Amino acid sequence: MIPLLHYVLFSSALLLIGGYGVVRNRNAIVVLMSIEIMLTAANVNFVAFAEFWHDMAGQVFALFVIAIAAAEVAIGLAILLSLYKQRDTIELDMLDLLRW
Amino acid sequence: MLGQAWLIPAFPIAAFLLIMVCGRFEPLRSRFVSSGGWLALLGVGASSAVSLLVAWEVFTGGHTPYEQTWTWFEGATFAFEGGIYLDGLAALLLVVVGIVSFLVVMFSVGYMAGEGERRIRYYAEICLFVGVMQGLVIANSFLLLFIFWELVGLCSYLLIGFWYEKPSAASAAKKAFLVTRVGDVFLLFGLVILFNTFGTLRYSELFADPALLAEHATELKWATLCLFGGAIGKSAQFPLHFWLPDAMEGPSTVSALIHAATMVKAGVFLVARAYPLIVHSPDTALYIAITGGFTAFIAASMALVMYDIKRVLAYSTISQLGYMFLALGAGAWAFAHTGGDAYAEAHGYTAGMFHLLNHAFFKALLFLGAGAVIHAVHTQDMREMGGLRKAMPLTSTAMGLAVLSIAGVPFFSGFWSKDEILAAVRHNGEAEPIFALLWMMALATAAMTAFYMTRLWMMTFTGPPNAKAHEAPAVMTVPLCILGALAVISGFAIFLGDGFASYVHYGYLVHQDDWVLLDHILTASGTHLSVAAALGGIALASLLYYRSPTQAERPERARFILDNQPTAWLHHFLTERLYISRFFDWFGLRCWDVGAAACNRFDLAVIDGAVNGIANGAIRSGERLRRLHTGFTGHYASYSLGGLGALVILLRVVLPLTGWSP
Repeated sequence: MIPLLHYVLFSSALLLIGGYGVVRNRNAIVVLMSIEIMLTAANVNFVAFAEFWHDMAGQVFALFVIAIAAAEVAIGLAILLSLYKQRDTIELDMLDLLRW
Repeated sequence: MLGQAWLIPAFPIAAFLLIMVCGRFEPLRSRFVSSGGWLALLGVGASSAVSLLVAWEVFTGGHTPYEQTWTWFEGATFAFEGGIYLDGLAALLLVVVGIVSFLVVMFSVGYMAGEGERRIRYYAEICLFVGVMQGLVIANSFLLLFIFWELVGLCSYLLIGFWYEKPSAASAAKKAFLVTRVGDVFLLFGLVILFNTFGTLRYSELFADPALLAEHATELKWATLCLFGGAIGKSAQFPLHFWLPDAMEGPSTVSALIHAATMVKAGVFLVARAYPLIVHSPDTALYIAITGGFTAFIAASMALVMYDIKRVLAYSTISQLGYMFLALGAGAWAFAHTGGDAYAEAHGYTAGMFHLLNHAFFKALLFLGAGAVIHAVHTQDMREMGGLRKAMPLTSTAMGLAVLSIAGVPFFSGFWSKDEILAAVRHNGEAEPIFALLWMMALATAAMTAFYMTRLWMMTFTGPPNAKAHEAPAVMTVPLCILGALAVISGFAIFLGDGFASYVHYGYLVHQDDWVLLDHILTASGTHLSVAAALGGIALASLLYYRSPTQAERPERARFILDNQPTAWLHHFLTERLYISRFFDWFGLRCWDVGAAACNRFDLAVIDGAVNGIANGAIRSGERLRRLHTGFTGHYASYSLGGLGALVILLRVVLPLTGWSP
């Protein structure tokens, strides 16, 4: 039996890695992937605590998150595709129309 | 007849309304009003006739004041009763205003003949003035007096500014109105104090109980000082005297009626009216005497050097009004210091009122004569006049009588009253050294009065004959002759009946034996001194300013004044009117500048500073904060993650350490 603390440390590590990826990366697709990693961190927490408290609601919630993340990725990729058609780039630091 | 005294102001006011209303509409105007002159003459004449009859009845009818009241308005705790109050004082003023106003309006018919349609305005305003002045005289309470007081001020303003298209006349009118308003504010304060203390402003109720008045000495002191403040403004006493010389911008008839014979006497009348109050406050009495004596002195000194004939007369008026105040103040002071003696009498009161009567006649005559002269030569500068004696025999003779009268030559009217005043002041001087000083100043004033009046007459009438000038028409010379006769004989009123004092007096009446009085006047050393002063002044002025008919050049004898340094400096000082007017101009502008600069600085620093500071702060902070918008998504994400982390640290670490739990 793996103690709960390990799950929590693992998910925290995933969240930090995903956050680092979101903040540091210039490629929009990699940013989307980093967001997926952060969502996965949340899912790990849901499942771990569901097991810990013997409550299945957490696992159901994790399934919902996966479904919604899939929809989000689909929309995000569609936006990136049309953005690439318009601006010929998906480098985030080139997309600064609303800069001061 | 006393019951019909309300007709006295009613006639001129009716004439005023008729002239104003009919004068506006063409068929009515040419049919009924034409210039308004005859309507004015009718209204003022009727009023003068009634006022003389009423005065006769008061003088012959015993010494109790007649009062007639009706309720004007009523409140829960107070009813205001307007009405008529007639005693010797009011009757004296009725005589003065009645006679002088009628003669001046008559003179105006000739004097204003060339003014065209503006005469309608002139006559309407003159009628209104006569009506409200008579109303002021017969009013039965201080409040009613105050209302008429303001109305005569309005008429004075309108008539000074009669030639309003002249900037100097317009500004003189404003000056007169504003300066007298300073005094009027004091008067109103005085009335408020009186009403708060005694609950009434009616003369008969206020004066009824001397014991009650004596209890409230402090309130009375302030109230009477404030009343005298009003008199200072209206009667042009120092330091509010400087409006009167400028008021000479109006027509000469206006100067004669309003600024010599009647309206400026309203201040003297007010002080005489408030006498039962003033005798309870010796401080006020002393202050009145000092103001009067000082004003008489400085105004006479300024009259010495003026070249404008009407300005000489204006300063002379201020000086003579000062004499009256000196007499009233001396009388009240003496009365107060005899300590409620049952046989106390206020000699100065009778003397002041007697001088008021005489002064009204000879000063109105001088102004009308000056008007006739100006009418003939079209200038007011005495240096351009001269030699009018042949051309204007009646005018020069009448004015000569007035000059002798005001100078105090024995047996002319000014001699009797001036002598009474000097005697009253000198009598006080034995008890209080200030009055001894005031007596000396008054004596010097008498000498200066004789000097400047003779100077005026000599400069105007002597010298080579002026062929172009001619005598004024009869409508103008008849009033001059009547006033000339009055200027000679009005002084003999001192022997009328039981003596002038039996008609107008305050306090215990001493029976007067005419021969004893005459003997006393003619043998007193004070009389000899004042006659010597008058004759000395006349002789000196004749020596300096007389020109024989063959002498074309002005005499050079007066040159030595300007050739010597100290006298030239003094001359300049007097010509500049002691710098008082300048001082007020400077002071006013200075206050204005300092106030304006302070307001400007406050506006720039505080108001604009706050508005601009807020705006600049917003702009600058916006300028800084917009740098956060780098346009790089990573930065936004890190802000929100950083914010989240900060929030977690705050809630889980910092706040629990301070003892707070969610």
